[in-house]
Amino acid sequence: MDPSSLNSAELQRLISQEKERAVVNEMVAKLTSACWDKCITGTPGSKFSSSESSCLSNCAQRYMDMSIIIMKRFQSTQ
Amino acid sequence: MDSNCHFPHLSSGNKFSTEEFIGQLKRQLAQAYAEKFLETVRGKCFEKCITKPGSSLGRGESSCIWRCVERYIEATGIIVLRNSLREFLMAV
Repeated sequence: MDPSSLNSAELQRLISQEKERAVVNEMVAKLTSACWDKCITGTPGSKFSSSESSCLSNCAQRYMDMSIIIMKRFQSTQ
Repeated sequence: MDSNCHFPHLSSGNKFSTEEFIGQLKRQLAQAYAEKFLETVRGKCFEKCITKPGSSLGRGESSCIWRCVERYIEATGIIVLRNSLREFLMAV
C-alpha cells in the first residue's frame, strides 16, 4: 500500500468519476420527481396506463430539449 | 451531505489505500442516494394515498402505497431509459 496514493492521479480520476455519477443521479431524481407530478395525476394503479408511460418518457426528453435551448440562450447572451 | 457523513478513516496505522477510500466513498454516496430516494417516495405517496388521515391506515391506503412505490420505481426506470443517462450509468 502506497502512502502517497492519496494524491495519485488514479484517486483523482476515481473521485471525479463518482462526482459525475452523483450529478447524473441528482438529475434523474429531479427529473423523475417533476415528471411524476406532471404525468401521474390520479391514484397509482397496478401498472401505468399507456398515456402515463408515454407522458413520462416524453417528459424526460422534452426536459432535455429544454435544457439545451436554455444553455444556448444563456451562452448567446454572454 | 449531512453530519452522518464522515471522512473515510485510516484502517491501520498510517497505511492508506485508494481502494479503501473509494470503497467508503461509494458506500456513503449509495446510502445518501437511498435516503434521498426514500424521502421523495414518502412525500409522493403520502400525497397520493393518504388523502384523509384516519385513526389508522386503511387497507385501501396500504395497497395504494404499495402500488405507488412500485410505480415510482418504474417511473425512475423510464426516465433513465429514455435518456443517454442509461448508457452513462451502464458505463461507470
